[in-house]
Amino acid sequence: MSAGALEGIRVVELGQLVSAPYCAKLFADFGADVVKVEPLTGDVARQWGPFPDDEPHLEKSGLHLFMNTSKRSVTLDVRNDAGRSLFLDLISGADALIENNLPQQMRAWGLTYEEISTVNPNLVMISITPFGQNGPYSEWNGYDLNAYHLTGASSRYCGRPGEPPLEHGTFSAEYFGAAAAASWGLAAIYGRENAGGGQHVDVSCAEAIAAAFVGGQNIGAYAQDGKFDKRTGVGMSLGAPATILPCKDGHVWILCLETAQWNGLAKTMGDPEWMQLDIFQDMFSRAQNADAMYPLIEQWTMEHGKMEIMERCQANGVPVSAVFTVGEAAEHEHLQSRGYIVEQEHPVAGPIRNLGAPFKMPACPGGPQTPAPLLGQHNDEVYAELGKSAEEITQLRQSGAIG
Amino acid sequence: MAKNLPLKGIRVANFGWVWAGPVTGQTLAFLGAEVFKIESKTRIDLTRTLPPFGEGVPGPDRSLSNHACWAGNGSVTLNLKKPEAQEIARDLVAKCDVVVENFGPGVMEQLGCGYDVLKAVKPGIVMFSMPAAGLDGPLKGVRTYGLSLTSLTGLDSLTGYAGGPPIPVENAYSDPYNGILGAFPVIAALRHRDRTGQGQHIDYSQQEAVMHMVGPAFMDFAMNGRNAQPKGNRHPLGVAAPHGVFPCSDDDRWVSIAVITEDEWKRLKAAMSDPEWANDPRFESAADRVANIDDLHAKLAEWTAQYDDRDLAQRLQSAGVAAAPVFNVGDLLNDPHYRARGTYVEVTHPLGFKETIYGAYVKTSRTEAAVEPGPAIGQDNDRVFKEILGIPDDRYTQLVEDEVIY
Repeated sequence: MSAGALEGIRVVELGQLVSAPYCAKLFADFGADVVKVEPLTGDVARQWGPFPDDEPHLEKSGLHLFMNTSKRSVTLDVRNDAGRSLFLDLISGADALIENNLPQQMRAWGLTYEEISTVNPNLVMISITPFGQNGPYSEWNGYDLNAYHLTGASSRYCGRPGEPPLEHGTFSAEYFGAAAAASWGLAAIYGRENAGGGQHVDVSCAEAIAAAFVGGQNIGAYAQDGKFDKRTGVGMSLGAPATILPCKDGHVWILCLETAQWNGLAKTMGDPEWMQLDIFQDMFSRAQNADAMYPLIEQWTMEHGKMEIMERCQANGVPVSAVFTVGEAAEHEHLQSRGYIVEQEHPVAGPIRNLGAPFKMPACPGGPQTPAPLLGQHNDEVYAELGKSAEEITQLRQSGAIG
Repeated sequence: MAKNLPLKGIRVANFGWVWAGPVTGQTLAFLGAEVFKIESKTRIDLTRTLPPFGEGVPGPDRSLSNHACWAGNGSVTLNLKKPEAQEIARDLVAKCDVVVENFGPGVMEQLGCGYDVLKAVKPGIVMFSMPAAGLDGPLKGVRTYGLSLTSLTGLDSLTGYAGGPPIPVENAYSDPYNGILGAFPVIAALRHRDRTGQGQHIDYSQQEAVMHMVGPAFMDFAMNGRNAQPKGNRHPLGVAAPHGVFPCSDDDRWVSIAVITEDEWKRLKAAMSDPEWANDPRFESAADRVANIDDLHAKLAEWTAQYDDRDLAQRLQSAGVAAAPVFNVGDLLNDPHYRARGTYVEVTHPLGFKETIYGAYVKTSRTEAAVEPGPAIGQDNDRVFKEILGIPDDRYTQLVEDEVIY
């Protein structure tokens, strides 16, 4: 195991499901020592699956196995006095705490930033919540779905007019929040001397998207002109072709905005006469005549497979791509050749495939180092590091402070 | 809040263009780095030409969306088609800690600024490349836009109505996502450099980074050979219901409701005054509700359709149910929550007009992020070429005349 870029950084995670665990996974996969603190019943991700053959098992949940690579797991009940005290011991020696509990929950546990910073003023506390630490919705109950739809992203960019706006079908808001938290949080750790100590990094998943995705493209226009747009159900309404079309065995993303690309598409399609018509000679005019154009392109795509369409279009300089299923993406020779899919041996789940590092750092490589830990696998090890004797650990276990 | 920003003292040469690369520069700038985007009037970035424009006056320094997405990046002009400009770019890199770029593989080499050249100029340089599909492999030259890049990850295959075809996301979610996440390996590499003296060339494949978003669905493929399909707003792993977006009383107004725990289901039922249908045994457990989700959602939609979206969200929140209005773009700017958090800020552009951009979307308690307006083309030429590189006035004038600095 090579030393990762973040070797020597100590992180405590008090999080469940996606946002905080994914942020902490980025730290762990790149060399930080991440101790995941789970309730005695375990991270809820352990119950969400997917499971091999759909048989639920706390150690075999796909969500857990993906989100928690390279971490150590301890169980601890922060509601228990001895448990809370143990938690404070843990963070007293840490560089960062990554958590995704609602602010009122942290308050009820006596774990606000004010309380935590008295224990360790150098600690960077990274809080990732749907709505953030302040503002009128900060104490709203919320999940990925609620956060995502509060951003304008779905109303503006996904779904058919008159039908419900759509999330992406994964945990998009939680991932976006986790990405922002990882970058801003790592900067706060790296720049602690500049900053003069630790601090609280407050990430709202909704706000990050409402700002950097939706706001970036729309807010200046709305503030100045008071106008805004909504979803159309088509990939792009101003230029065409730019949408997803069905083909013989699935779907393809047809994108063809520049003249050279349009000529490349015509060549790929065997130079049909209609493509020479004046109304199809620039992307704006094509968009105005999209209702006539898309069925003509679709006639052609329906006769061909998605991989063939992608390959032939790309060879002619046209940025058309196949809509890969998850399996097609994972098994594509490109990702195979880059070593993106990794094999792990998990003590209970057995051999599992996982996704590798999201970026390659050749001087200090990252990616999953160890499979996701068993529930409380590192209790004895971590609590011994805190100076607890075997006897004390037994006592903590008997009192219900740890599992 | 008077302390220095975390990345104070870090200088970045940003060759990034369009959206993702500039957002990486912006992220580093929010955090205190000095970032110079290198661009040229010989090839104005497409995003600088997108309307609407400040005060409605068209011009490459007036695109409001461009300014919001690039804010924080400084700007210097170099016509990199000219060898002399490439030499100056290398001189600038020698005074930098980080190079950012999001061209296709090989373009930086053509510009005389490949990694091998730059590391000779500046040992320890951190070069961050973020091409669509990485620096090597059979698809390294794949042509995509940010809009369609997600098709290569499986993410697009998950987006759409239940039982229907994939529905396109109409803008490049992956661009700001990758732009922001890209700052993470850059800072990690700076830490590694500080500890070892060693720089590196980071290979950030946008495809691979975004594909982590389908990690949960990938595990189902890896374990069970199943390929997930579009499922509307239903729970991505199918473990809970109701979970969706439901109509409210006005046109195109909706409320999102996510019921994950049994306790939340009880609270929702109570908030609806325990209607008879909700106590149907077909809706008793989470598994029952997931099995009968179409009926469940239809019944719930009949109920939500009677109410205003904000009132209903507030009412459900008071009952402890995770519910929120579905905002459109027009709801954002004056929403009390985003106002309280200072999500959007009005700034004055160097050309004198006001523009509204987003500010620090992450709040940091000790250091207040640096928020700047969108860059005017070449606004930092004097600072970079005269102050940092020490180019004498007469040579500077000549370089401008020769359209090297251009």
